[in-house]
Amino acid sequence: MIRFDNVTKSYKGLAPALYDISLEIQKGEFVFLVGSSGSGKTTFLKLLLREAVPDSGSILVAGRDIGELSHWRVPYLRRNLGCVFQDFRLLPNKTVTENVAFALEVIGRPKSVISSQVSQVLELVGLGQKGDRMPHELSGGEQQRVAVARAFVNRPLVLLADEPTGNLDPSTSQGIMKLLDRINRTGTTVVMATHDVGIVDTMRRRVIELDRGRLVRDQARGVYGADMNSTTRGVPAVVMGGGNDLLYDVDGDPVTGRVAAVRARRGQR
Amino acid sequence: MAVSLEYVAKETATNLWRNRMMALAAVLTVAVSLSLVGTALLLRQAVSRQIGQWSNNVSLQVFMNADATSQQLANVRSMIAQTPQITHVSYLDHEQSYAQAKQVLASEPTAIQALTPATTPTVFRAQLKNPADAATVADTFNSGVPGVYQATSPSQSIHVMQKLTNVLQVILLVIAIVLLVSSLVLILNAIRMAIFARRREVGVMKLVGATNWFIRIPFMLEGLVQGLLGAVVAVVVVLLSNLGVSYLIRHYQVSVLGSAVLPVHDLVMTEIVVVLIGLVVGVAGSSVAVRRFLDV
Repeated sequence: MIRFDNVTKSYKGLAPALYDISLEIQKGEFVFLVGSSGSGKTTFLKLLLREAVPDSGSILVAGRDIGELSHWRVPYLRRNLGCVFQDFRLLPNKTVTENVAFALEVIGRPKSVISSQVSQVLELVGLGQKGDRMPHELSGGEQQRVAVARAFVNRPLVLLADEPTGNLDPSTSQGIMKLLDRINRTGTTVVMATHDVGIVDTMRRRVIELDRGRLVRDQARGVYGADMNSTTRGVPAVVMGGGNDLLYDVDGDPVTGRVAAVRARRGQR
Repeated sequence: MAVSLEYVAKETATNLWRNRMMALAAVLTVAVSLSLVGTALLLRQAVSRQIGQWSNNVSLQVFMNADATSQQLANVRSMIAQTPQITHVSYLDHEQSYAQAKQVLASEPTAIQALTPATTPTVFRAQLKNPADAATVADTFNSGVPGVYQATSPSQSIHVMQKLTNVLQVILLVIAIVLLVSSLVLILNAIRMAIFARRREVGVMKLVGATNWFIRIPFMLEGLVQGLLGAVVAVVVVLLSNLGVSYLIRHYQVSVLGSAVLPVHDLVMTEIVVVLIGLVVGVAGSSVAVRRFLDV
């Protein structure tokens, strides 16, 4: 679904934001993109959206080299990529329904299609009853659900999420993760950049770690830190996360094993 | 992908309304500058028609003494016939000349009272191949030809008038161009504000894959509408001022300016030019704004 071949991207006068990245993400995968701030996660997502173009190397999305896309084809690429951000990016003067419908209106979908798809996706994200609310009347978690609905309403092949839980408290984050997991199970590839140790360690999905623009780890069923005791990124993962209350799996059950050990350790303090 | 008309109309109207103060400023500036453009164009046409009228009808008038003998008349007639620059000549006898004098002097009844057909000089009216020769030809008749009172060419005063109107036209056009540039900048700024006001929407549109033209068109249209509205106001202003001038000319029967009343055809062409300029200014302003400030 997504393939990076020796991709390097640097911004003017700075060290490369991404350096010689090669990786492949299969259809239907759920991938966490981790790394400290400035490690290149956002650049990775920007390249996928073709908001930026690599200096060298090529990026394939659904078999197409997106570097070859002419300028006017870029919008059609983006229709296949849903996007969710830390700051939700909802339109404050539109209702929930209008916000989601907007995504379909501006790509020229007919009205009948829009109304049925919007109500469907609002049901999916659990906001079926709140279609007439304005964004400011919703909690942060609900707003992010609207954003997810908007990203997913066009059934994109890939859902990109840039720290979608960054503004949310742990239990709300958990709800969002459940939602992303459900979307993933429909066959949608999900790529999520995150700092949230708890979430990564709980979900146990593929983890791609970037460090100063380099791919340093690509691990199936991985955790946030390569080694729970390591201080490679300067701070022990447990302390960094601050999300220790989120040690539940996507179904809301407390996870066992290693994470439970972490909790036990915390309890001892 | 078809951009739905309804969507575009709605977006454009909303933008214009939200941004109405800026839009008003832009529209009024376009209106003022285009009114000047229209006026300058009409003035130019009226003056050139009127001058054409005057200089075609008569390039040279040879006034005879009222008591000139028929021998002197015949002599002058043959002189005229032998002057190669003269293409056509007509003769007004006492009665005709008196009738014309009454018309020209309509505003001065005392002068008319002093005239009788018998005391009115008869006139040869000659047309010249080239009106510029008028002064030279007039000189030959003024050099003591018996029976000739005076030969005059109206071209001298016409030249002065032509120059004056040229200067007036240039001034009007310069002002109009300056105003057009400022209205272009105002439209540009209005569109820039509209883009800024809608940056969130634009961001989302880009994100979900709206095509570039889909995002641009409402803004382009907004500029176009501003240009068009300004042009419409200018069309009305030009139309009214033309009607006013025509009315004055007719009402006071200023027959010498009769040709300055423009035919409908010229008026319509001028108005079309005004509307086109308005559209061009609107589209140009919004294109620049969209290119510079709408990052798509």
